[in-house]
Order: sequence, then C-alpha cells, then structure tokens
Amino acid sequence: MKRYGEHRFPGKLFIVEGIDGSGKSTQLMLLHQWLQAEGYGVVFSEWNSSPLVKETTKRGKKKQNLTPATFSLIHATDFADRMEHNIIPLLKAGAVLLYIYTAFARDVVRGMNPTWVRELYSFAVKPTGAFYFRVPLDVAMKRILDGRNGVKFYEAGMDLGLSEDAEESFGIFQGRILDEYEKMVPEFDLISVDATLPIEDQQVQMRQIVKAKLAQARRLRVAP
Amino acid sequence: MKETYGVGLPGMNQGELTGKLIVVEGTDGVGRSTQIKLLRPWLEQQGRAVLDTGIKRSELAGKGIQQAKEGHTLGRITLSLFYATDFADRLEHQIVPALRAGFVVLTDRYTYSLMARAIVRGVDPAWVRNVYSFALKPDAVFYLRIGVDDLIPRVVFSRGFDYWESGMDLHPSEDMYESFRRYQVALLAEFEKLAQEYNFEVVDASSDIRTVFERLRVGISRVLTGEPREPLFSVAAPPPEVEAPAPSSGEATAAPRAIEPAPAEQAAEPAAAPKVSRSAAQVEVGDRPEPAPQALAKAAEGDAKR
Repeated sequence: MKRYGEHRFPGKLFIVEGIDGSGKSTQLMLLHQWLQAEGYGVVFSEWNSSPLVKETTKRGKKKQNLTPATFSLIHATDFADRMEHNIIPLLKAGAVLLYIYTAFARDVVRGMNPTWVRELYSFAVKPTGAFYFRVPLDVAMKRILDGRNGVKFYEAGMDLGLSEDAEESFGIFQGRILDEYEKMVPEFDLISVDATLPIEDQQVQMRQIVKAKLAQARRLRVAP
Repeated sequence: MKETYGVGLPGMNQGELTGKLIVVEGTDGVGRSTQIKLLRPWLEQQGRAVLDTGIKRSELAGKGIQQAKEGHTLGRITLSLFYATDFADRLEHQIVPALRAGFVVLTDRYTYSLMARAIVRGVDPAWVRNVYSFALKPDAVFYLRIGVDDLIPRVVFSRGFDYWESGMDLHPSEDMYESFRRYQVALLAEFEKLAQEYNFEVVDASSDIRTVFERLRVGISRVLTGEPREPLFSVAAPPPEVEAPAPSSGEATAAPRAIEPAPAEQAAEPAAAPKVSRSAAQVEVGDRPEPAPQALAKAAEGDAKR
C-alpha cells in the first residue's frame, strides 16, 4: 500500500479547502472550465459520489445515527473507493484531477483524534497543489445564509449538540473548522487565497499557480 | 475499566462498561457461529444477559457491504474501511450500550479477522492497526485454531467454497480449491501472528463440536468469575506434561487440562514468563515491526498494477 506522498503519476491533482461559503466550489468549477478549454483531460471528483458507498452514507444521514467515528469512516470509505477506482487510474492515464478535501478539519472538530485521522487518510495521493480559500467566518456565514434555504443537519454540525438552533450551530461548527484549517496551512503547505477578493481576481491567482505546475503535464486531448 | 487499543472515541465513557466482552475468532468455516449458538443459551441459563454480534450486522453498513461485495468491485482499502465503518457502528450502537448495561457480549469475530483479511490483501499492517485503534480491548479472545487440511473438508461438506473466503479477488488461481487453500494458508499465518501479538487464548478447533464447546465454557466461566487466565491456556504455554502453577484463587477445579494445550512447536519454546499478566503481555498497537509482505499481498500488488 503506497502512502501519502509516495505515488508518482503522470497526471496532476489539485484540491481546494475552505469552510462552507468560502467560494471554493465556485473557484474549482471555473478552474475546471479553463483547463478543459486549454485542452486538458479534467475530471472533478466529489464527496459521496462513490456508487458503492453512497446508499450507506445516505441512510446514516437520513436516520441521523452517524457518530463522529462512523461519519469519519463512511466518508473515508467513499474517498477510498474514488481513490482506488477513479482518481488513481485517471492519474496514471495523465488526467488532471480536481477535488474538494475537507475531511481532516471536519472529523477533528467532531472529536476524532487528529493523528488517527491523518493516518486514516495516508493512502491518499499527495496533491500537486492544494488551495485554501481563507475567509472570515461572518463573511462566509452571510454568503451561506443568504444563498441557501437553511443548512442540513450534519452540515451545521447539529450532531455535536452545539445549539438547538441550526444557524447558531452552523456558526459555531464552521468557526471551529476555520481554526482547524489555520493549523493545517503550514502542515500541508496549503496555498492560501484571500477569498474576500473578487471572484475573478482569485481565479487569476489560481490559474497562474496551476499553469506553472502543469508545465510538463501530458495533455489528454479528449476528456475522459 | 475497559480501554481501547489506542485512541478513544468522542463521548464514550469507558469507566461505565461493566459487562464482559468476549470474542470468538477464527477463520471462515471453523465453527464460530455454531459455538456461539451453543454458548448463548448456556450463558442465559446461568442468568447472564447476552448480546451476540458479528461482522456485517450493523444497521448502518451491513447491507451496503453485502451489496458492494456482490459486485466484486471493491478495492482493498475501500473494503477495509467499509468493514471498519460496520465495526464502529456496532461498537457504538450495540456493543458499548450492552456492556454499559452489564451484558455479556459474545462477538463472532472482532477486529482481528478484519485486520488479517486486509493484511493478506496487501494493506499496510500499521495502517490497519491505526484504523482499529479505537476498538475496545476485549476481556478475552478465544481463537479457534485449525489447520488448512482440517478446514477444507468442513467447508466442502457444508456450504462449499465462497468467492471471498477463497480470496478470489486476489486471483491466486483460476481453481477455486487452489485459491481457497492458498488464501486460507496466508490468512491462518496472519492469525498466528495476531494470536501472539494480542495474546489470544487458543482452542483446538479440529476437535468435535462438544469438545470445543466444553473448552470454551471453561474459558468463559473463568472470564466471568474474574479468575486470572491459566498459563496453559496461552499460546506461549508450556506443554501439558509440565505441572501448572496452582491457581492463585485456590480453585482446584479450574481444570487446566480441559483447555487445549498449545501445539508442539509453540510448546517447545521455553515457557516465556507464564505468569505474565494479560495486560502486560499485550503489545500496544503499532509497536510491532511490520511483518514481511505476504505472498498473496504480492499477488494483489501485481494485480493492482495491471
């Protein structure tokens, strides 16, 4: 079993990190469009997309009987399936992979041991570049609460019993995740992007960095 | 006071767990579930409340694993983590509440089978140990030991060879018999290592059902009354000819002879500190150097490279 950092593939892997409302998904989508237009074979892999694991995760969330341990493990299972069946074969084929990676911060805030969580995910491929979209909590909260019809149970960290009020719980939970991210920036060499800047400016920064890292990547003319 | 093998889980108060956690381990087809079916009524007749549980019986993940296995497309890390999810769900929603209520929890396999299966499939042993380091240390692990030659006829004349129990996902051979044999040999070798590391109490499962049942009853009675473990019961035990030290409790009827002596090759070793207590002999997770890669692990590796 190859561990984090030991994999060597022709493909490239870029990931985004940040609390809900940091705009990370938007930036990733814009990057995706651009890379495709540039002629790269690009694949976006998202959480809970493993067909084998999806039903189980759904069942647990619906019944609200996930504990911090099972929440962590079922998401790791989903991630492993994507890693083994999707991400690694595509990286071998030279594709550019994009995904959102929030597991460490989320699990640790739920009370899982930080070392245990890091070791759990040690089978993951080390990304070519990892972006962290840094945003103050109040800005992120405003974006989320303006744009969505309420937040979901686990999204708001309601399982932690922080508050009966979903919005309040969401705020406390995201605040703790933010603290976790700040610790992870130096540990994982995350590339910080000021997520309060205009969207276009953030995207320009992101593209410059990605471009430099893609210099020697093989281009797949047809997207898989 | 129960402890885990490493990390604690949020919200689990281990001090309240007054029940007994008893594990029956062993390979596929060795007769674990038969024994548990006998043990449960035996315990209940004594007025003990029993919870029996086993792999894939979680509300959360049992069904998902079954469905995923029918497709035969799970990767080895994914499969390991799916089982770990199932285990965690049962630990938190079945085992711990039962232990808190003072039940005897009889579990048909524990983390050890899951670890052995993963390691034989080439998953990093240190990684597997970390994954399961939240597991509670059981009060006793009874390992039903059997050689592959005794195992094969049992499986053939009961339910036949199963795809996963034959390690067919590792493609060791096109032939189901060959596959089963090679896979089980590798698995049994891994179990032997785990038996040493986690201080299993070995029961010879090549004997008939009644004899095995009798031995398990003696062992379980001892766990329930809180008597110290007999040195003869351990894998590192001296041969049966050697007079066992008198039990400290003065219980002359502890009948150490009723318990399976260790096999010759184990017994030939000097009886290394037979009085070492269970907890002291327990090796902490991750302390052990990684075992050499299994032959099957290599096969799996080759397979992954295709």
